[in-house]
Amino acid sequence: MSFDPWIWIAGFLTLMIFSFLYKDNPFYKFAEHLFVGVANGYYIVFYWHQALKPNLYEPLKAGEFIYIVPLLLGLLYFTRFIPKIGWLVRLPLGFMIGWGAGISIPANIQAFIFKQIEGTIVTPESFNMGWEGLWSLVILIGVICTVIYFFFSTEHRGLLKFGSRLGIVFIMLGFGASFGYTVMARVSLLIGRIQFILGPWLGLIK
Amino acid sequence: MKFFYTLTKIDRRLIYLVLTALVILPFFLKFSIPQNIMPQTKKLFDFIERLSPEDNKAVLLSIDYTPQTMPECHPMAISILTHCFKKKIPVLGVSFDPQAPGLAIEAFNTVINNLNARAETNDDSIIYGRDYVYLGWKSGRIAALMEMGEKISTVFPRDYYNNYTDSLPLMERIKNYRDVSIAIILAAADYPQEWLMYAQARYGLKLGAGLTAVMAPKYYPFLQTGQLSGMMSGMKGAAEYENLLLTAGYTEKTGKAEIGMNSQTLIHLLIIILIIIGNIGYVATRRQSVKKQNG
Repeated sequence: MSFDPWIWIAGFLTLMIFSFLYKDNPFYKFAEHLFVGVANGYYIVFYWHQALKPNLYEPLKAGEFIYIVPLLLGLLYFTRFIPKIGWLVRLPLGFMIGWGAGISIPANIQAFIFKQIEGTIVTPESFNMGWEGLWSLVILIGVICTVIYFFFSTEHRGLLKFGSRLGIVFIMLGFGASFGYTVMARVSLLIGRIQFILGPWLGLIK
Repeated sequence: MKFFYTLTKIDRRLIYLVLTALVILPFFLKFSIPQNIMPQTKKLFDFIERLSPEDNKAVLLSIDYTPQTMPECHPMAISILTHCFKKKIPVLGVSFDPQAPGLAIEAFNTVINNLNARAETNDDSIIYGRDYVYLGWKSGRIAALMEMGEKISTVFPRDYYNNYTDSLPLMERIKNYRDVSIAIILAAADYPQEWLMYAQARYGLKLGAGLTAVMAPKYYPFLQTGQLSGMMSGMKGAAEYENLLLTAGYTEKTGKAEIGMNSQTLIHLLIIILIIIGNIGYVATRRQSVKKQNG
């Protein structure tokens, strides 16, 4: 069993959070509020020491006055709280949206559209690698049918109806995989806490 | 009828109790449920296995998970670092998640203390600045990811320990993405997406990922297109990598992920059983209520 007081605090807080599984109670509420407070405190201190101080305060102190421009742009966000000059918030927003769109649109198209379309192309060479060819075909059919399912400009009749029905099957398979993985992720978190309680805290396992 | 109705109304607290018992049980009853190795984990392992110190390139490890996702991602970090250091491949660590630096340091220290405890000479030891560097956290990650393709020390003029980056021996040969053989992103949020957009699409950097299980399905298409050179998915991916290290002789035993997978398998069986029970109860009670309505 641990003699470290921090391990004991962490252990009790874990149990307080788990107590919600029985029903809502003051112990859970206390742990929840403490978490919110600690998290906020951490972020404020972290951002000051890791972002504002090295990237703004220290350069300004060293006489690099060009940093006044981003400082002013940042401060303009706060004009939202003053209705008379609230319109000034559009300046940093415009800057961010313009920069963001310019940077992300070409990168998005390149990484997510061109590359993904490339991934659906089936060539005769695909079939030289045994099962790979068959899977390539399944991916191509899956992509087309899923896109058909989301094609709402025409009524789904005939071939479109068949395609959209098949599309639902692929979508459901996707949801099933996501659900399975979500269960695994959530259970992993529980396993992690149990490992902590039984290991570092109670010393029952190595 | 009452029996089927009961099936649909099992007290959730009873389910939690059984679930917790099944998580705890494998830690005390020593048994091992065999795990298969998924191809994406093997691909990542093989990629690092093919690297050589003579390549003069580093592995860039972006540690971006948070304390709550440690059970899934921390064993991945331990495994990747062990693999690289045992092969004498230098590692460059970075973080873009504000919660990650403390965990990154812990992962580095765990592996390095373990390896250095067995080292006999200076060459066998893992030394900061020569074999690895942790650059720390940086705000504005999109700009940082792009700028690192040009010059890493512009983005990180100082490392996590406040040393001048250019003064570190490793950084004399690792200038930008051209000197990085693969970047592996261990993340609990959508950071790999930005690496794909800004580091790979623009600079052709090879990428691998270690993700929480919730994120994994979203990244499978990138494996199929070759945008990701390998991937570890959740605790299972971490356990698979631990097994691969053990089989290859890099470690003497598996780590925390492998131990957790026994509980994981039991819980999955429980959930499958509960889904079946719930559906049987639902179908049976619905038939009964339809019969009642009709007549």
